[in-house]
Amino acid sequence: MAAVLEVRGLNKSFDGIVVARDIELSLQPGQVVGLIGPNGAGKTSLFNLISGVVKPDSGTVALDGARIDALKFHERVRAGLSRTWQHIRLFPSLTVLDNLLIGSTDYPGERLVNVLFAGKRVRTHNVLAREKALTILGKIGLSAAAGALVSDLPYGQQKLVGVGRALMRDGKCLLLDEPMAGVEGQSYAAMQRVVREVAAQGVAVCIVEHNVAFIQDLCDEGVFMFSGAILARGPVAELIRNPQLTELYFGH
Amino acid sequence: MEYIDGIIIIVGLYVILATSFNLIIGYGGLVSIAHPVFFALGAYTSAILARNFGLPVPLAMVAGMVVALVASVALVLPTLRVSGDYLLIASIGFQLGVLEIIKNVRFTGGAGGYTNIPPFLIRDFGREAYVALVLAVMVAVILLVRLVARSDYGRAMSAMRDDELAFASLGRNAMWMKLAIFGLGSGLAGLAGALYAHYFRFITPEQFEILQSSAILTMVVVGGMRTTWGPIVGALLLEALPQAITFLNLPPSILGPIQGLLFTGLVLVFMFFRPQGLVPAENVWRGGGGETR
Repeated sequence: MAAVLEVRGLNKSFDGIVVARDIELSLQPGQVVGLIGPNGAGKTSLFNLISGVVKPDSGTVALDGARIDALKFHERVRAGLSRTWQHIRLFPSLTVLDNLLIGSTDYPGERLVNVLFAGKRVRTHNVLAREKALTILGKIGLSAAAGALVSDLPYGQQKLVGVGRALMRDGKCLLLDEPMAGVEGQSYAAMQRVVREVAAQGVAVCIVEHNVAFIQDLCDEGVFMFSGAILARGPVAELIRNPQLTELYFGH
Repeated sequence: MEYIDGIIIIVGLYVILATSFNLIIGYGGLVSIAHPVFFALGAYTSAILARNFGLPVPLAMVAGMVVALVASVALVLPTLRVSGDYLLIASIGFQLGVLEIIKNVRFTGGAGGYTNIPPFLIRDFGREAYVALVLAVMVAVILLVRLVARSDYGRAMSAMRDDELAFASLGRNAMWMKLAIFGLGSGLAGLAGALYAHYFRFITPEQFEILQSSAILTMVVVGGMRTTWGPIVGALLLEALPQAITFLNLPPSILGPIQGLLFTGLVLVFMFFRPQGLVPAENVWRGGGGETR
């Protein structure tokens, strides 16, 4: 099967500090891969390099066989690469529903001409986008919070909104940066459900996460990173049992 | 009556300037101080095209607006590629530089100013017609900015201002949006300039100095950023105050400095005691329709 995401020979260093060393990573459709490693291993940096927030020194990134490394961040998202943020980064001045609607794939209502003369096409589109957003809110169990201001939600629910917003893009590959940090109870279950469902639709998912139980539950495979390099890839249970990796993870 | 007409027109034009600047700095979150220079570009373009090239005044006015718009895009395009902070620095250079050019080339009349600008409407329909035109444009500008702010476009502006990186992570290009906001706001300032030129029929570079920038900023801040009424209240207040001061019969030599002190003082007082301005904006974006409010 052709890989959805194919990262080859990715290198990056900041003033001599290596954050990515010859990274090779491929994700198959529907695969859920956990990216684990101690703090500072370069997991978030790898997400930034893949998504185009940070430019690599060398290496290529391909999505569905097409190179995307020359594209800017927002263009890569349009090509089908979605991501979330460790610190959520919601739009605090918007409601939950509006946060999702900003993630619509198309937005005819925002053309300045349509601001003055909103036609039927714009109205139809807005109705559809709204339905889609409400469906996603239903999946993450936040239908009741649609009209709430995001900053009024508990932290765990904000994380869910962050994921829900990324889902509006219908990406082929989803990069989740610590989706479970600070998430518990119902939000925890909802997050698991959503990731499983997205993967079942054929989306390749890569998750940076410190919650090993979550990774073990959900991921087909784990990738262990240390000091900017991928040291091992395999079933999560095996990685956890590996004494060398455990020592690197927890330090001496 | 002529005195009153003049005041109404000045206030109306400053409402346009403050409202369009509110679009740029308030809704767009773009920090620039070059608003007076787009006001100037509109005024000079329209005046020169009408007087030297015999263009009908309405066409010249539209041209003034377009030149201001194009110039603003030329300013913002290279700077935004780097970072938002550079816009402020570049705008200072642009404001000072363009005005310096206007002062030093012949076809603008240089530092002495540009005179004998063809009038519009006044000869055929009287001053009141021109007052009506300015007020109509003012109302149209207020409604346009309000409509934009409350539309889906306004929602996207809110999101972009909240978090540009998150905005990009949803496949959105903040660059285009900033360009459009800055171009539209500056174009409206150009239109105000054109309206100024064909009423007063005499323009000098010093009317568009950087001090005007602080005046317009004060109007927006004191009135209330990101609101429809804020810039209107701010413009009325800050245009009325200097007029009131003139009735005190102070010597002209201290009038100017007093106005400067007044503007700066007001901004400081408001920043400390009422940062939201006279008309406070809501923390939440609210659209004009639908149930997403």
